[in-house]
Amino acid sequence: MKQVLLLLFIFICIGCKPKIDVIEPNAGEINPSHFVCLGGGEMAGYCNDALYYNGQEQSLGNLLAKQLKLVGGEDFSQPLMPESSVGISHNGLSKLILGYKTDCLNNSSLSPVRLATSGDLSALNTSVYNPSVSFGNWGIPGLKIPDVFSLNYSNPFYTRMQSSAGISILDESIFSNNATFFAIYLGVEDVLAFAKSGATTDSMTPLSGAIGLDFENSLSIILATLSGSGAKGVISTIPDVTQLPYFTTIPINSLDLDSANAHTLNSVYNPIGFDFVVGTNSFMIEDPSANAFGVRPLEDGERILLSTPLDSVKCFKMGSVFPFRSEFILTIDEINEIQTRINQYNAVIKNLAEQYNLAVVDTKEWYHGLNNGMVYNGSPINSSFVSGSVFSLDGITLTGRGNALLCNEFINAINSKYNANIPKVNALEYNAILFP
Amino acid sequence: MLNFKQIFAFAVSGFFILFFIDSNFSQGFQVNLQGQKQQAMGSAGTGLITDGAGLFFNPGTVVFLDENSINVAATPTFANTTYLDLATKKNFKTISPVGTPFSFYGLFQLKKHAKLKLGLAAYTPFGSTIEWEENWIGRFAVTRLQLKSIFIQPTISYRFADNIGFGAGLVISSGSVTLQKDIPIQYDNGTFANAELSGSATSFGFNAGIYYEPNPKLSIGLNYRSKITMKVENGQAIFNVPASLDTSFPDGVFSSSLPLPQVITLGFGSKVNSKLSFALDLNHVSWNAYDTLAFDYQQNTSSLEDTKSPRHYKNIIAIRLGSSYKLSKKLELRGGFGFALSPVQDGYVTPETPDGTRYNFTTGIGYKFNKHFSMDFSFLYVQVHRQDKNLETNLEGTFLTKVISPGLGIIYKW
Repeated sequence: MKQVLLLLFIFICIGCKPKIDVIEPNAGEINPSHFVCLGGGEMAGYCNDALYYNGQEQSLGNLLAKQLKLVGGEDFSQPLMPESSVGISHNGLSKLILGYKTDCLNNSSLSPVRLATSGDLSALNTSVYNPSVSFGNWGIPGLKIPDVFSLNYSNPFYTRMQSSAGISILDESIFSNNATFFAIYLGVEDVLAFAKSGATTDSMTPLSGAIGLDFENSLSIILATLSGSGAKGVISTIPDVTQLPYFTTIPINSLDLDSANAHTLNSVYNPIGFDFVVGTNSFMIEDPSANAFGVRPLEDGERILLSTPLDSVKCFKMGSVFPFRSEFILTIDEINEIQTRINQYNAVIKNLAEQYNLAVVDTKEWYHGLNNGMVYNGSPINSSFVSGSVFSLDGITLTGRGNALLCNEFINAINSKYNANIPKVNALEYNAILFP
Repeated sequence: MLNFKQIFAFAVSGFFILFFIDSNFSQGFQVNLQGQKQQAMGSAGTGLITDGAGLFFNPGTVVFLDENSINVAATPTFANTTYLDLATKKNFKTISPVGTPFSFYGLFQLKKHAKLKLGLAAYTPFGSTIEWEENWIGRFAVTRLQLKSIFIQPTISYRFADNIGFGAGLVISSGSVTLQKDIPIQYDNGTFANAELSGSATSFGFNAGIYYEPNPKLSIGLNYRSKITMKVENGQAIFNVPASLDTSFPDGVFSSSLPLPQVITLGFGSKVNSKLSFALDLNHVSWNAYDTLAFDYQQNTSSLEDTKSPRHYKNIIAIRLGSSYKLSKKLELRGGFGFALSPVQDGYVTPETPDGTRYNFTTGIGYKFNKHFSMDFSFLYVQVHRQDKNLETNLEGTFLTKVISPGLGIIYKW
C-alpha cells in the first residue's frame, strides 16, 4: 500500500507540473555585446526631478541593457550616484516624494515634496570616472544635441563622468570604444527647457545650421560616428512635450469664484470687456498683444505650468487680479511653435534613421497613446499626474515603470527591424508612484 | 488631484468569475467529481443505472436500484496552472493547495421493489483554492481565490413502468468566496496595495431526469439541471492601501449576482453483454447566461461607482464517453474520455478561468467486498491549453493547466 501511495505521489508531482516551451530569445541581426546609449533624462534615469541611485537602476538605458544581456550583451556600466543619496536636481534640490503640504489656507494635502532640504551636491561634484570602466550609459539629464560637441560642456551631470576636462562627449570613449549596438533618445531636452520656461528663455535648438550648433547636421555626425564601425542601432522620435503632465495638470478654467470675488473682478475687468461669473472661470494672463491693457483670459488649449506658485493663486489673486506672467503659461502660439519644431526634428530623425538603417521607436506615438490611457497587465496607465503611474512627480520624466514600458517600445522596434526575439521587461517590477 | 476611479474599477471587477473555477468542473464541463463510477468512465452516466450518484447525474435512474444505500466519496484534486507571459517570456505558476471535493448520497425505499424512492444528495461542485506565486504578472486580476460550497438535493424518483423512471430534486446551493488581488498602487516601500472581496450566497434550483430502457441492451437518459442564480447581497470589500489613500478606497458593501448555467444532458447506455457496457453523454450548457458581470455598491462615491464588465460566454457542447468491464464478480475496470469546448471566447480568458478546450482522460476500478460493502476508485487527468489576450487587462500569454484527481468512494447498502 505504501509503495502504491508513493508511486501515486511521484506521478502526481511529475504529471501535474505544466511546462510550456518557450522560443529561445535571440539577438537576430544585432550584436548586443557592447551596448551604449546616448540621451537625456529618461536614458539617465533622472526622475522625480533628481538623479539618484534607484532611479538610475530603473533608467531606460539600464533596462534596455538588462534585456540585451539576455541575448548576449555584456556588463553595462552607469555613472551611479551613492545608494543612500537623496538625489540631486538640475536646480540643486533633492528628489521629490509624495508627502503632505500645507497651503496658505492651512489645508493639508498629498503633494510632491522634497525628500531633504537640499540636494546631494557633493555627489554631483564628485567624479565617478574610472579609467578601467567604460560607461555604457551616456544618458545625461539636460543634454541637447549640440552639447555632444561642446569642449566646455559644463553640465555637472556630464562633468562627473567626464574622463578629463575640456573633452567633448563626442571624443569620449562612447564613440571610440567600438560600440556594437547603440540606442539614441535625444531631442527632448532640445525643446524642454524652452517649454518649461513658458517659452521665455532657453531657445530651442535650431533645426539646421552648423555642426555643433544645430539639430540636423549634428545628429547626422553623431549617427555616422556611432555606426561607423558597423554597429546597428535604434533611435527614438520625440514626444510632444506640451502634453506632459507638467503642462496639463492645472486646468485653465479652475478659477473658482464666489459672488463677492466675481464682483471684485468684474469691477476691475468689466471696463476692458472681460466678464466673470460665480463658479468656474478661466484664469487671466499677461499678453501684450491681446489689447491695450496687455491682459486676457486663457483660451482653450493653452497651458498653465506646474511651476506656478499655487499659494499665490489661492491666497494672493495670482491669475485673477494679478494676471499670470508669461513664464507660467504656454499660449496657443507658443505651443504651435514648440510642436512645429518637434515635428521638424522628428522628420529629421526618421530621415537619418533611414539613411543609417536604424530601427525607429515612435515614442511620440506612444506618448500620444498615454493621453487616452492603456492597460498593462491589469493596471491602468495614462498621462495623468500621479494616478497615471507613468510620469514621475516632476510631471516630465518617466517613472521606473514608465521607463520599462518605453523600453518595451524600444525592444519592439529592435525585434521587428532586426528579426530579433528579445524578451520584454516586466514593467510591474519597477516603481511607479510611491504613496505614504 | 487623484482620480482612482479606473484603478478601483479594476480592483473590484472580475470578482465573480471566481465562482466558475470549479463550476467549470461541474456545471459547465461536466468533469463532475460527483460520482466515482462516472468519474472513472469519462464522467458519463446519465443513461446508465449506476449507484446513488445517479441522484446528481440522472435522478430518474435511482429508482431502479433496489436498495437502501449510503455512498460517501472524496476526490483530492491537484491542479496546477502555468502562465507563460508572451512579452517577457517568463513563467508564472500557481501554488494552490489540494482541493477536496466530496459527495454524499443516501437512497431509501419503504419496501422491496418500491415504485418510489427517496434520496438525499450533498456535494461540493466547487470548493478549492487557487493561489498564484508571489509577484506574478497577473496580480491585479487575482492573487488568491478561495471557494467553498455545498449543494444539498432532496430527491424523489418514481418508476412509471419497468423500463421508465423519473426523478426530480430540489437543489439548495450555498457558497462563499474570497478573492484577493493586488491593486496597482504602491506603498512607499514599493509593495502593492491589495483588495480582499468576499461574499456568500444561497440559492435554489432543481435537477430532474428521465430514464428509459427501450430494450435490455440500450438505455437512454435525459437530465435537466436548472440555471441557478447566485446572488451576493452583502459582499464585503476590504482595501489595504497606503494611509494617504484610505478615503479613496473605503471598505464597503456590494451586491452582485452570477448565473450557474442550465445543463441539459442526453445520455446513452449500452450493455453489450453481462460484462461490458458503454456510456455516452452529450451535454449542452447554456453559458450565454453569463453575459455581463455587474457590481452594485450600496454606497457610491466618486471613486466607487457601479461597474459592468462584459463576459459574453457562449453556449457549449461537451461529449463524454466511458466504458466498464467486469473482470470478475468482485472487480470491475473502468475507463473513459471527455471532450469539452470552452464557453470563454477569445479576448475573455482570465487567470481565474484559464479555460480552453478540455480533454479528460479517466480510469478507475470498482471492488465489491460483499453484498453490503463496495469501493470505487477513480482517476482523472485533465489538460487545458489556452492562448489569449484579455481585452480588459491585456494579459497576453498561454495558460496550461493540468489537473489530477484520484478519488475514492465507499458504498454501504442494505
